[in-house]
Amino acid sequence: MNKFDNALKAEIQRLPKTREPERDLWRGIELSLHSQVSGKADENGLNNEPSGQDKRGTIARLSTKPWLAMAASAMLVSVIWFFSPAFTTDETSGEQPKLAGYALVDALSEQQDDQMTSLLASYDSAPELSENWQAQLKELDDAAGVIKAALKDDPNNRALLKMLKHVYQQQITLIERVHAPKWQQI
Amino acid sequence: MERTLAKVTNLTNDDESQHEAAVLLAAKQGDKVAYKTLYHNHVGRVYALCFRLTGDRGLAEDATQEVFIQLWSKLDRFDGQSQFSTWLHSVSANVTVSYLRKQRNWVQRMFNIETSPAMEMPAEADSSQVDLEALVVRLPQRARMVFVLHAIEGYRHEEIAQMLDMAVGTSKAQFHRAKQLLKTWMGCEDE
Repeated sequence: MNKFDNALKAEIQRLPKTREPERDLWRGIELSLHSQVSGKADENGLNNEPSGQDKRGTIARLSTKPWLAMAASAMLVSVIWFFSPAFTTDETSGEQPKLAGYALVDALSEQQDDQMTSLLASYDSAPELSENWQAQLKELDDAAGVIKAALKDDPNNRALLKMLKHVYQQQITLIERVHAPKWQQI
Repeated sequence: MERTLAKVTNLTNDDESQHEAAVLLAAKQGDKVAYKTLYHNHVGRVYALCFRLTGDRGLAEDATQEVFIQLWSKLDRFDGQSQFSTWLHSVSANVTVSYLRKQRNWVQRMFNIETSPAMEMPAEADSSQVDLEALVVRLPQRARMVFVLHAIEGYRHEEIAQMLDMAVGTSKAQFHRAKQLLKTWMGCEDE
């Protein structure tokens, strides 16, 4: 081993074993874990809701391929919406005015409200597959509220923004799912 | 006296490992408070690894969060055969490499190594005052990852090749490249 190798080895030994991040990372992790739990609750709610003889049939319908296709298409619409130019923070987006900081959060929330209002209006007379979907929606709303509160302190936190978008997406998917016409489940 | 000190140290270590085992068990059972304790106990080491692998503070913070988000659902896989910190280190390295792969500029960063600004960095004036950490993060992406995994974390080139999806020879070449750059920057060229 030559002089440099020895010097390098000694420097490696001297490297600190730990290094503390400059910002609090736990809050984002906690929110993500919370949103994972909400997602699971959402799935469980959908599989438990019907009562009586209809229950087995509905579970079977929920697991059919058209159901998955519909969920996938709802996800796709949401993804396209979230990545639409009005919301992109990409510096290359050019002519569109760039939204940054809490203005982006406000714009996202406003768009979400519009989207949900129009969705709920369009499904006004459609039968609901789940009885407790509004409670699930409220739970997701609470999660979004917690994330938005955290974003007030740290409006440019990408992880938090990603989480907020994810929660909003889950709300749209939930509304789509519970109001899907029965023929789409067969 | 020495024997007593050793006994006390052993007792302390035993207590610590028992406490860690209890925290780990509770976290495995879904206790978020225990998981937060686990996070606080290990975030420093995980972040240090993420920072060295990514070479960027923001990316390292995101990668650290990703590690602890994924770890929550992976805890069941820890079988206690090795030390938890060793296992967590391995999970962290794998999650960080995957995280970096998902980044938009991964391919660009991995292959555009000749244009790295680090190449223009002047040599250190005094090699006795080397900040190796600062030099490592300035290495080109691929060379840095191989150097960190091999020289600092002790992975074999075969393991690194698998992790980074490259040939074993490439891993060795990148390690050599990293060493050559560090040698220049540390002012040890004239040996």
